[in-house]
Amino acid sequence: MNAKNNKDRVWKSASGLPLQKFYSEDDIPQEQRQRLASDPGMAPFHRGAHPGGYRTKPWRIFQLSGFGKPEDENERIRFLLEQGETGFIMEHDRNTGDHCYNVDHPDVVARREDVGLTGAVMQSVRDIDICMKDLPLETSFGHAGGAVVQHAPFALAGYWTVARHRGIDLARLPGTGQSDFFLTYLGCVTKQQIPTAAGLRFNADIMEFCDKHLPRWVPVSIAGYNGADTGLNAYQELGALFANSVEYLDEIKRRKTMPLENAARACSGVNFRASMDLFEEASKMRAARLMWQQLLERRYGITNPKVANLRIHCVTAGSRMTYQQPLNNIVRGTVMALAAALGGVQSMGVSGYDEALSIPSEHAHQMSVRIQQILQEETNIEAVTDPLGGSFYVETLTAELVERAWEFFDEIQEQGGFLATLDSGWLHERAAENQSEDFRQQESGEQVIIGVTDHKDDISPFEVDGFMGVDDAYDVALERLHEVRRTRYEAGASRALKELETVCRDGSNIMPAMMDALEAEVTLGEIGDIYRSVFGDWATPIQT
Amino acid sequence: MDTAGKRILMAKTGLDGHWRGPTVVAKALRDAGFEVIMIGMARPEEMVQASVDEDVDLVGLNIGGHIDVAVRAINMVRESRPEVPIFVGGVVPPHAKRKLEALGVEVYPPGSQLPDIVAAARRLTGLA
Repeated sequence: MNAKNNKDRVWKSASGLPLQKFYSEDDIPQEQRQRLASDPGMAPFHRGAHPGGYRTKPWRIFQLSGFGKPEDENERIRFLLEQGETGFIMEHDRNTGDHCYNVDHPDVVARREDVGLTGAVMQSVRDIDICMKDLPLETSFGHAGGAVVQHAPFALAGYWTVARHRGIDLARLPGTGQSDFFLTYLGCVTKQQIPTAAGLRFNADIMEFCDKHLPRWVPVSIAGYNGADTGLNAYQELGALFANSVEYLDEIKRRKTMPLENAARACSGVNFRASMDLFEEASKMRAARLMWQQLLERRYGITNPKVANLRIHCVTAGSRMTYQQPLNNIVRGTVMALAAALGGVQSMGVSGYDEALSIPSEHAHQMSVRIQQILQEETNIEAVTDPLGGSFYVETLTAELVERAWEFFDEIQEQGGFLATLDSGWLHERAAENQSEDFRQQESGEQVIIGVTDHKDDISPFEVDGFMGVDDAYDVALERLHEVRRTRYEAGASRALKELETVCRDGSNIMPAMMDALEAEVTLGEIGDIYRSVFGDWATPIQT
Repeated sequence: MDTAGKRILMAKTGLDGHWRGPTVVAKALRDAGFEVIMIGMARPEEMVQASVDEDVDLVGLNIGGHIDVAVRAINMVRESRPEVPIFVGGVVPPHAKRKLEALGVEVYPPGSQLPDIVAAARRLTGLA
């Protein structure tokens, strides 16, 4: 065990900002002091997206969920909704989904037992229909899956097609699909993926399609989380996230196919990570809102308050959940959720206490919901918006994060922009540097993780052994794939597939053809094959 | 101790794409003087091929999914290179860890410290 020696310690925030013993009014930068006069719900919005805060709308309890067969996932989602979850996330199996492979692809067959461990296998609209059985589509905010860029058009079109079959007017359908560059090209680099330029096109296509047909849908949700949990620190996460926003907005501006203000609205629902540095993370959410308002006004001349008020979904840091003494993670989840709530986020997911062991068990999932309910119902945290506003420390930290984040944003622009830093691996290098530094600090004793670096005795009477889902996901998926191929109207499917290929090649919006393809029961792997032949493969800048 | 010439093959059994762990471990092993050959997400037969072609002294597997996928890979590598030791890391729950250890494979779950992993690599390659 490391001897605790606070006297000689160099105190700094998790991102490395030097910290004083205490803060006084004079420490708050002049510019930030002037902002103290603005209330929550007023530009520049650092104090909150809405004046009523959680009194008007409690944060959404929104847990990542999914495994096994579509019916297993449906059962888990309904369990979570019964427990009090107020939105739902429909995770697709990552072996098949992220790669747009059917289960009979050789790369999947070689890992058949992995199938269904990270989400339900959904290869056609029939599977998606099973997964969505009895879900409250119109009254809940649903996440259709499709976090990975090349998978998003399929996952979205599948969800929308099922909704339409149920007689729901798409214009009234709320939800998101994410389609996140951070996950796809930085956090979880897949074995095969369309290049970033094609990914940018897909996302702009989704934004255009939603602008016409699904005004309540959040078409893309940039997830800084996936950069942060890969190693980016708080201000790097902020700077990189807005560098990503700029790529989307500039693309729409270039296309001139929808009002820029609508595009900004489409990009104004984002995702951040909340980690363990309580005040830095709360300040980060405040900094994010401020930066979005600044970005829209300065770069695009957009000041409409309904667009400039950034809405944030926040997920607690999975990487901070420890394998050792897993029940300690319930405390970590609570602290990180508190940071997010103090920062005024609109939506939250708390990692399972068994995160470092497996996908969440039913009990771990329930605890993630309970943590949020206890915070909402028992702590009075909902009563007052921006409870940290005016704190000398938090206002200073907010301003410092904004300043450093814009510097990092500028560095990314100097590298040629966000996409260029993904293509070159520059952003991966920044993340990897921090990862190595983290390990160094753990070895030197500068960074303590209870149960891991220190206090290693575990006396918990509860064994947590990791949840392994079901064991028939692969077999059932294979059967269903054969069934679809055998029973669908083949001429219609092949016509739709051909049309999709034409659209992929000619550059027009991919989504109408994708909707037709899902309707015609075209399968995921067939769509992936088209992508691979039209777009080729992203040249991964890192060895994975 | 001199690690020159000792070669370690590193591969991922799953398609999950989490590269954080293996990358950090590879860097630590390289810093300690090992030659690390990363082949990333690979099928068992690709691991076998690489372990032969690259004439490695140790195989490190990152496991992100089901234990049976790892066991299949381990058995196939052992069949063609029985003399090469294997160690694994990643999200390995306790029940899977016990199963792998029973097969004589050392397991480094999340929270393992890099000096311990480097020490294991030295020991398994006969350097310590």
